[in-house]
Amino acid sequence: MQFRLEKRREPSRFMLYATPVAAVLLTMLLGGIIFSLIGYNGFGAVREIFLTPLTNPYKWQDLGVKAAPLIIIGVGLSIAYRANVWNIGAEGQYIIGGLAGTGVALATWGMTGWWILPLMVLAGMAGGMAYASIPALLKTRLNVNEILTSLMLTYASVQLIYYLIRAPWKDPMGMGFPQTRLFSEAARLPTIIPGTIVHLGVPMAVLVGFIAWFVMTRTVFGYRMRVVGAAPSAARYGGFSENKTIWLAMLVSGGLAGLAGVLEVAGPFQRMVPGFPTNYGFTAIIVAFLGRLNPLGVIVAGVVLAITFVGGEVAQTTIGLPNAATGIFQAMMLFFLLAADILIKYRVRRVTHQASVETA
Amino acid sequence: MDLTLAIAILVTVVGASTPILIAALGELVVERSGVLNLGVEGMMLIGAIAGFVVQFHTGNPYLALLAGAAAGVMASLIFGFLTLSLSANQTATGLALTIFGTGFSALAGSSYSARPVTLMQPLFPVELATHPIGKVLFGYAFPIYFSFIMVVAIWYFLHKTRAGLILRAVGENDQSAHSIGYSVTGVRYLAVMFGGAMAGIAGACFPLLLTPQWAERMTAGRGWIAVALVVFASWKPFRLLAGAYLFGLVMTMELYAKAGGGPLSVIPSEVWAAMPYLATIAVLVLISIRRDASTNAPACLGKPFLPAN
Amino acid sequence: MPYRLELTGITKRFPGVLANDNVSFAVKPGEIHALLGENGAGKSTLVKMIYGIMQPDAGEIRWDGQVVNIANPKDARRLGVGMVFQHFSLFEALTVFENIALGMDAKIPPRELEARIRAVMTKYGLLLDPHRTVATLSVGERQRIEIVRALLLDPKLLIMDEPTSVLTPQEVEALFVVLRLLAQQGCSILYISHKLHEIKALCDTATILRAGKLVDTCDPREETSRSMAEKMIGAGLRDIVRSEGRTMGLPKLVVSRLSTHKTGHFDVPVNDVSFSVRAGEIFGIAGVAGNGQNALLDALSGEIVSDDKDAVTLDGNPLGLLGTTKRRKRGLCAVPEERNGHAAVGDFTLSDNSVLTARDRLGMVIMGLLNSGAAKTYTGRVIADFAVKALGPASTAGSLSGGNLQKFIMGREILQKPSVLVVSQPTWGVDAGAAAAIHQALVDLAAAGSAIVVISQDLDELLALSDTLAVINMGQLSASRAVGDVSVEEIGLLMGGVHQSVEASDAVPA
Repeated sequence: MQFRLEKRREPSRFMLYATPVAAVLLTMLLGGIIFSLIGYNGFGAVREIFLTPLTNPYKWQDLGVKAAPLIIIGVGLSIAYRANVWNIGAEGQYIIGGLAGTGVALATWGMTGWWILPLMVLAGMAGGMAYASIPALLKTRLNVNEILTSLMLTYASVQLIYYLIRAPWKDPMGMGFPQTRLFSEAARLPTIIPGTIVHLGVPMAVLVGFIAWFVMTRTVFGYRMRVVGAAPSAARYGGFSENKTIWLAMLVSGGLAGLAGVLEVAGPFQRMVPGFPTNYGFTAIIVAFLGRLNPLGVIVAGVVLAITFVGGEVAQTTIGLPNAATGIFQAMMLFFLLAADILIKYRVRRVTHQASVETA
Repeated sequence: MDLTLAIAILVTVVGASTPILIAALGELVVERSGVLNLGVEGMMLIGAIAGFVVQFHTGNPYLALLAGAAAGVMASLIFGFLTLSLSANQTATGLALTIFGTGFSALAGSSYSARPVTLMQPLFPVELATHPIGKVLFGYAFPIYFSFIMVVAIWYFLHKTRAGLILRAVGENDQSAHSIGYSVTGVRYLAVMFGGAMAGIAGACFPLLLTPQWAERMTAGRGWIAVALVVFASWKPFRLLAGAYLFGLVMTMELYAKAGGGPLSVIPSEVWAAMPYLATIAVLVLISIRRDASTNAPACLGKPFLPAN
Repeated sequence: MPYRLELTGITKRFPGVLANDNVSFAVKPGEIHALLGENGAGKSTLVKMIYGIMQPDAGEIRWDGQVVNIANPKDARRLGVGMVFQHFSLFEALTVFENIALGMDAKIPPRELEARIRAVMTKYGLLLDPHRTVATLSVGERQRIEIVRALLLDPKLLIMDEPTSVLTPQEVEALFVVLRLLAQQGCSILYISHKLHEIKALCDTATILRAGKLVDTCDPREETSRSMAEKMIGAGLRDIVRSEGRTMGLPKLVVSRLSTHKTGHFDVPVNDVSFSVRAGEIFGIAGVAGNGQNALLDALSGEIVSDDKDAVTLDGNPLGLLGTTKRRKRGLCAVPEERNGHAAVGDFTLSDNSVLTARDRLGMVIMGLLNSGAAKTYTGRVIADFAVKALGPASTAGSLSGGNLQKFIMGREILQKPSVLVVSQPTWGVDAGAAAAIHQALVDLAAAGSAIVVISQDLDELLALSDTLAVINMGQLSASRAVGDVSVEEIGLLMGGVHQSVEASDAVPA
């Protein structure tokens, strides 16, 4: 039996939304089989990773807290990728955002006032934007590949954390630990549900997703992003400058990554530590793709990836699955999704054997 | 600076440059065929853990290099299947491969932490390497000589052989190559597999030449630097050699700065640690200022191929 | 003697289209056989099957009397089939020699191959330096590489797919000399074209295809161009209807000393171009592809902005420093040559494609928000008025055939009632019915008082459509001439770069 790909007249909307679901289901199935083959309790792992976080209400607050930064960064990346701007340094912009927020928190240490937190948020977003503007500048002025520059800047930003918390920002009472002092009350993100760890960043993430969805579908800004990504020559013809679009895409995605960074440092961490880079910026790449570069899809995908993080921790304690397994499940989801992409524009047809009659 | 120190530095530079050079050579061939595989970092990590495990159990570094190559090929086939057979987006698939390689190597290596292996010994008898000049020429392990041979071999292949001509043709104009009867997908699969083997070998060099133990993410972005170097070298093998050694030098400076003492330690060690990455940006900027870097790129780089019929 | 090539009942089906329906014909040794048909009639599909790029779904191919299965181009070359493609299968970054070597299946030592290349070039007068990079060659020279590559294999059948569409009339004559020489030596030639006068001048037999079906096999020398055209197109030909007693108004679009900078490797900039177009006038710009047409269109549309505000003026108002959006607001619209990806976005709906160029002129944007209702209504009007075959405004542009997409794009611009419309290759690859509709729409727009610039490589189209004509060559524009006063020979010389041809035109009766 042979198969052949046949181009569809119109891209399939069904496949566009069905393939991410299929990718998750296939990952669960194949992941279970593979982990069983290498000697783990494979389907136990799948259950713990994908289902326990949902069935166990105690885990829901963790889900929200993990999903928030993934959604905020993922929304920004989905906008940039729509415009064909490959910002893969969101992790670095997240770090700089976190550092900028930390700077404000340390400068206002001991003070009180409602303005401290908004100032931190602004600083975080500005930090993320500033860091993203380096690849934007190099791309627009010198046509330097933004993938490489934004990624290299991520590696550099990690070193900046290490330097700052080792020397100038080190906690004077920290017994030599490389970390900053704990933020004052006014610089900590409030929890919105008493008795849980769910902070203000969680509803903000959902709000960001809905605003981005409106902007991308209903405004000229969104149209600009979509048209530059789909056909750059047509965009130029339609009057949209590519360079301006690159700047906008970088600033929006960098600003949102910076926002995630400052919310993270002011919320769950409440101080800057060496473990602040948690790979949210890289995982958000998967979130953006799994969400089909659609901000509403990104909200769902952010929750799915958060489930795997929370579930991965569960599986680690309950069945001794190494933490790295989570990364493999996440990468598998992206692999399956990319593999299924072809079904949007093509359909698979079985080739009957009569067509290939041999003559001599 | 005395001669012994100079030679010691040189030997360190060679060791640091070799994995980047080998990985970049593989990526150069892949890109010349018109495919952009951004999964080099992931393939290197998979090669590193495969090489480490084989070295740990057999103690045979040549088997370890082979294992690295084989693992790299396997990883590259995932990429090849998605991008070549299913025309998936190459940028996204490369990123996915790196994420996968990071997770896979961490999982496979989780039971090997803090268990040392032996470093690979120099290829030539130690007697040849006693004199300082002899040490510079004959004091290295096999991968160093391999990398030099591959620079020449790849240059020869691309410019002097028919197969190399076909590979370049596929990268320049896939539709034309298809219409005169060459298998674009076939050529690209072979190129991608070669790139995977080279990245795997490059990864295996880390435990065999540099740090004789397993550490998560031990390639530390070197795969990405290799990708950047291909751009820097304008897709030319000999310029790749120059670029890789420039980076070897930067990384060696970091080692000496961390070791302390001397004028290098005035600058915080974190700056030195960030230096290879900042240097990568710097060379990309320099090459772009000098001329439009994209003009030398293979015309079909990164574009999926589907025959027009 | 058996036929060199005989096709019986060839059928090829694509999703939604029957590209070839039970086609049968035969080619004798040494015969020059025309395959005639409109764009989309199935000619290219048919020859791709003869050359092994595709396989027929049904039917059989005989070669010298034997049934053959041509699985790939290598099989075809082994039999003795050579092919010169319409869109050259050349590698721009490689040399002439490397390009030819890639087309050879046998392993020939480079030195011997070079000697053979030089021998073939001398024999047929196809001179070229084998070590030049293709990117530096003209279109005519590139075609020579393809021909040399095919001739090196001593073909018994040479397929030429629309070989003259990119040549000057003089280059066409030179090509015909080579083809006649080949035919005399016994090589059959399958000559694909839709240009009737060429077929009458060159071919012994003509097979005419329409919508995938064989219509007739005839002797072109015994047919008139009109009778063949009717067989090719089917329904009676429609002529352009012009209202009587047209008068031209004042100069509307004035271009003076317009120049662009070289941007890419293979890009030809325009240099010091000046012309003016009056209200009601259709101004044609002829020229061989790759002589700066794209740069000229971009410089007029505003994709390339000039340094001089007066380089482009509309009704005396300077537009030179403005981008596309502002030029459009002031009434200058443009349609570039490439449809999918430049004039339209394939993955977008037609409605979204209307937003691309009509958003400001037709109020589809209010305070940065898109008014999708207005876009949908306008798109519906374009579809209805220009008879675009599409399911509706929500169809994607990529789902339309080339001709329908072009009708949509032209309609999108024309219904905005621009005071100046600049179009490049308005009917390239479009079937005759659609082409006639587009021509009529342009004439009507001019009659309503707009100034129109048509850039085209199709000389017949320009002669039928324009009032005034100029020729672009190597980025420079010739002086403008009224269409009635100019001969095809003169235009041909200008297209080939001979600018001092004013005296020559006196010697040739128009």
